[in-house]
Amino acid sequence: MRHKTTSTALLAGCVAAFALCACGGPSAQAATLKLQAQLVWGTNDDHSPNPKHKPVEADVRKKLKELPLKWSNFFEVNRKDAEVPPADTIRISLSEKCQLEIKSLGGSKLAVTLFGKGKETWKGTQALPKGEMLVLGGNAPNATAWLVVLKRIE
Amino acid sequence: MIDWETQLKLQAYLDGELSEADRAEIAGKVAQGGEEAALLAELRQTRALLGGFEEGIKMPESREFFWSKIEREIQRPARSEPARLGLPWLARLRWLLAPAVAAALLLVAGLVATRHDGSARSAAGAEIETAQADTKAFTYRDYETGMTLVWLSYPADSEFASQEEIGIIQ
Repeated sequence: MRHKTTSTALLAGCVAAFALCACGGPSAQAATLKLQAQLVWGTNDDHSPNPKHKPVEADVRKKLKELPLKWSNFFEVNRKDAEVPPADTIRISLSEKCQLEIKSLGGSKLAVTLFGKGKETWKGTQALPKGEMLVLGGNAPNATAWLVVLKRIE
Repeated sequence: MIDWETQLKLQAYLDGELSEADRAEIAGKVAQGGEEAALLAELRQTRALLGGFEEGIKMPESREFFWSKIEREIQRPARSEPARLGLPWLARLRWLLAPAVAAALLLVAGLVATRHDGSARSAAGAEIETAQADTKAFTYRDYETGMTLVWLSYPADSEFASQEEIGIIQ
């Protein structure tokens, strides 16, 4: 009897949630997206020869470790926070040679373009809900890697 | 009729696996041009034919990437095992809540279908559409952690960040 009551309560809760979201719930369509872009160097060395580099933050490190990457250490080369207003396009410069262009397509969907030395290198669209990450990467000299980590903050 | 042991030795001779003494013995028999020589020729021919069919397998991703995916899949059940053992009551309760869960899933599916603002994490978050194809690039999506990795073939060397910025001492 108690289980039946629990099931009924859950069902009622779901119906209420559905009604709230479908009829007048808060929409993310008009929200400005807050993003964080990082240029990261992946290596198996314990320390970076550049003293300006610092290890990436714990949450980013944890997520990068979850990916099938062979590098054990990740150092932050540069980091930029940015806001993308609805239907607007912004450009983030992560280094002299690396830029990101991000366009808000509504909701959490983004059009991301990666520029290397001023040339369009990759372009894609991706929904980036809060907490998720888009990582673009490639090989760098001496068996290391470069990574561009794009994270949705809000 | 060649005995079984000699047949095996002929195969080993072809593969270069015989000791010096055995190799000399088999070489002597082959030199006489009898059945041994004929069988050796046949074995050589077979090996050449089979070798011709073995085309190199080209993976769309790097060797390390491929094996690390397998390694992760092997480790995944091992990591989740203790949690399952620790919560047997949840497993028993699960079937009781099944109707409610099914209804909830239907409602979530309805929500996703009725909202077109792209904020539906479960559906849109899993998709990536590449507009400009890097023919050698590949995409990896981890649904558990909400991570999407796009590995690009460009650049072969680091052109995105200068050597000084990255800190590589050449």
